[in-house]
Amino acid sequence: MIILLVPSLLLLFLVFGIPFFRYIWLSLHSFSVSTSLIPINNNGANWIRLINDERFWQDVIQTARFAILSVSLEIIIALCIALLLNQSWKGKGLIRAITLLPWALPTTIMALGWRWIFNNPYGPIEQFLSLVNLSELNILSSPYLTWIATVVADVWKTTPFVALILLAGLQTIPNDLYEALYIEGGNARDALLKITIPLLKPYLFISMIFRFSQAFGVFDLIQVMTGGGPAGSTESLALYAYLNAMRFLDFGYSSTIVIGSFIILVVICITSWIILKQTIYLVKQ
Amino acid sequence: MKKSTKLWLIVLLIWSLSPLIWQLYSSFCTTDVLIKPFEIHSNRWTLDNYKQILNADIGFSKYIINSTIVGISTTFLTILIAIPGSYSLARLPVKIHNLTRSLILIAALSPYVLLFLALLEMARKFNLANNLILLSLPYSALSLPLALLLLASAFKDIPKELEEASRIEGLSSFQTVRFILLPLIKPSIASTAILVFLFSWNEYPIALSWLSNPEALTLPVAIARLAGSSIYSVPYGAYAAATVLGSIPLLLIVLIFQRQIVSGLTNGAIKG
Repeated sequence: MIILLVPSLLLLFLVFGIPFFRYIWLSLHSFSVSTSLIPINNNGANWIRLINDERFWQDVIQTARFAILSVSLEIIIALCIALLLNQSWKGKGLIRAITLLPWALPTTIMALGWRWIFNNPYGPIEQFLSLVNLSELNILSSPYLTWIATVVADVWKTTPFVALILLAGLQTIPNDLYEALYIEGGNARDALLKITIPLLKPYLFISMIFRFSQAFGVFDLIQVMTGGGPAGSTESLALYAYLNAMRFLDFGYSSTIVIGSFIILVVICITSWIILKQTIYLVKQ
Repeated sequence: MKKSTKLWLIVLLIWSLSPLIWQLYSSFCTTDVLIKPFEIHSNRWTLDNYKQILNADIGFSKYIINSTIVGISTTFLTILIAIPGSYSLARLPVKIHNLTRSLILIAALSPYVLLFLALLEMARKFNLANNLILLSLPYSALSLPLALLLLASAFKDIPKELEEASRIEGLSSFQTVRFILLPLIKPSIASTAILVFLFSWNEYPIALSWLSNPEALTLPVAIARLAGSSIYSVPYGAYAAATVLGSIPLLLIVLIFQRQIVSGLTNGAIKG
């Protein structure tokens, strides 16, 4: 019977397992154009370079702020959408399909769309601002604003996904609970804080973990919408790794960035897991 | 329906649709209109943007066909591997089952973008690049975790008694799977297939590193190339037309298979 699982495990090992070991091995070697694409052991020089690489650490901060802000906004907006869609009326299916649409489109298509929407001076936002005589914001050329624009695009695209998962969670909550609460004199706020959110916790948790790790690997959106600019202010870790491999042809260092990013992601996840547990513990006391 | 609910629904629809409608509007506008939208123009509307995209050296329809080929072959391969795999996964002893399942879950959660370099090396070493059918190998592997988790949970929901009964009736294991189990998990297979298709249709980083031949590009890569060709050039109408054309197949898929997509996503979250 277990033999049926072998092709799956083999394919998974080939595509997830081997790369992992290959990256670790490559990160310990110089492997670039300057070594004529022959791997040479360099005694951890890549790792020393990584630790002293300001651009890497800047990208860590930029990727983390992007992931934290977009995932928090997504969860909040998705909860509102899920509560809205968790009522029955005619034409519910159509509305659900329309809500789902942003998620189903290729990221590159809408990254291109958003670049046009934020374009200066021809995009609709800048046109509108100039119409009401507000000074130009220059959204996609300001290092302080561009990353917010990428968060907007990401929230637009992935909120439907989170909303659907939370909606599935809402549908598991029995109605009797709410009825009992209202009989006891509770109001809508109590219903949300004392029933909905506590019972939704596992769904909130799984979507948060999934979305955070995906947002931490953000690549398509950034590459097409801003190319990492302006002045590298939106460059993500995945884009930096990609540039090192494809533009600078430094495969050894690119692998080091990949493993480094992975370690940081795991550290962030474990830390927030511990913090979350501690807070829940403290709140319960 | 309450009035406030209606209001919020309208807000939701505007939020979801307005960027798309803006693309649709831009795609039919002449360049002059896009540059100065508030002035009066003699000819506002045009089909030139679409003509430009469709009559380019490599017509846009080519990319849509390419993406469809990758999508269908990936879906087919993934389902083919995942059905026996998930059946076996569902019937493993509890301890091994839980261990395997958590490993698969980790694979499903990790940001797969980071695999591009190793996959690129494999493509070079074994000469797999620029082949749309071969691209479905890494794509299938990347969609396998989700497919395995979804189908295994569907198999687990089927009572064991049913299998025992069919065995007593004299059916072989193959016949049991083919005639008893598969019909029962058909809905799960459908929603898994749609999700895998959507993933492979939309995938970008791996396609970007595997495909370099302009004739073999999939839709997301072709669109990104268009974007990269000239960042600040004004004639945006053609880009808009490309995004509209690229969205239509997905719009149809979502409208037709909305139910399957929703049940696949939600089952993936609950049981995965």
